Amino acid sequence: MFGPRIAGDNGVELRPPVLEDYKLFAEWQMQPEVTRFWGPRFTTETIATAEERLKRHLESHDSVSWSIAYQGETVGFTGLFDISWTSRDGETGIFIGRHDLYGKGIASEAVRLRMAFIWNEMNFHRTHNWIALANQGSWRANQKSGYSQIGTYPRSWFRSGEWFDEWLGEAFPSTFPADKLPSPWRDKEHPK
Amino acid sequence: MALGGIIRGKRTTLRTPVEEDLAAYSRWMADMRVRRAAGVWHEPAMPATWKERLKEQAKEQRVVLWSIETDGRLIGLARARLGGLEGAPGAQIQHFILDPEEWRRGYGWDAALALHRYFFDYLDLKRTGMELRADNVAALRIAEKLGYTEFGHGHQVHYRDGAYVDESWLLMERATWDERFGKTEREYVPLGTAR
Repeated sequence: MFGPRIAGDNGVELRPPVLEDYKLFAEWQMQPEVTRFWGPRFTTETIATAEERLKRHLESHDSVSWSIAYQGETVGFTGLFDISWTSRDGETGIFIGRHDLYGKGIASEAVRLRMAFIWNEMNFHRTHNWIALANQGSWRANQKSGYSQIGTYPRSWFRSGEWFDEWLGEAFPSTFPADKLPSPWRDKEHPK
Repeated sequence: MALGGIIRGKRTTLRTPVEEDLAAYSRWMADMRVRRAAGVWHEPAMPATWKERLKEQAKEQRVVLWSIETDGRLIGLARARLGGLEGAPGAQIQHFILDPEEWRRGYGWDAALALHRYFFDYLDLKRTGMELRADNVAALRIAEKLGYTEFGHGHQVHYRDGAYVDESWLLMERATWDERFGKTEREYVPLGTAR
């Protein structure tokens, strides 16, 4: 399924993906600047299959996908995948395809919105993720919204003569910082 | 394709799954003892669905399925994903299920050792991994004996039997296999020695 529109701070918004976004996703995943910690930089996807992929994600019963917009423009995607409805657990992920926008806090805000939705609207028990340890921007963005490290997977990625470990994290509703609850959940007029 | 070939242990044999195995697969997946210990490969289903699943499994490029037997009797299944395009070539064991009626007879250890011999001695993989429920003592004991170590521990991951259970993420490196079993667990006599 696709997640709903959630407006955040600093021009960041989560919104349901459209076909044009899927074409962008496919292009971004072929670029060296954004695939240092994302692989394998080859694909079976074509422009023609973008629509099939969108449909597959839309009809999926074990994932929730969003596009991330920054100042009205799609810049990446995030979501919850491999959902276990029995355990109320799922794997979260985020991808910022516009490398010229790194360091602007877009990922941190997108993670905050995503996690607020998961805890407040999906009644989840836990989420988890794996992130390249060297990709500090990504795991720090997750930490700010309540993720903590539960392990390190050694030598997960090989890039330019170096092995990179992976950061393993998990989060629970109780670890989400209460003072960071975004609108609409923090709004007084929001029905509880 | 991705139906496993024969791997002989001392007491068990991993072999190519056949349609006749599917009734037992379905029975195990419906067994609460199995479901408590580990995740099931598929939910219980009608025979036609299982046949379809076996057909789909055969098309898998990177995930291999074996049936496990002893004395010609089907006692379990094993399923592993082989990979390592970006990381070290390795195998991730996804399912290792034994018929509960055959538990505590040493078959799990024998089949697991044979399977790991195939990974390291035959496929020349560099590492293997698995995820186990933290209260699955028998499986953890086998993993530890093989040489697995925990690199991550998820809290309250699986819900079953009215409560959550933790998950242990385990890894075994090639060096550990070589050190513990490299000299004794060889499928073939090295040609240099045989001449």
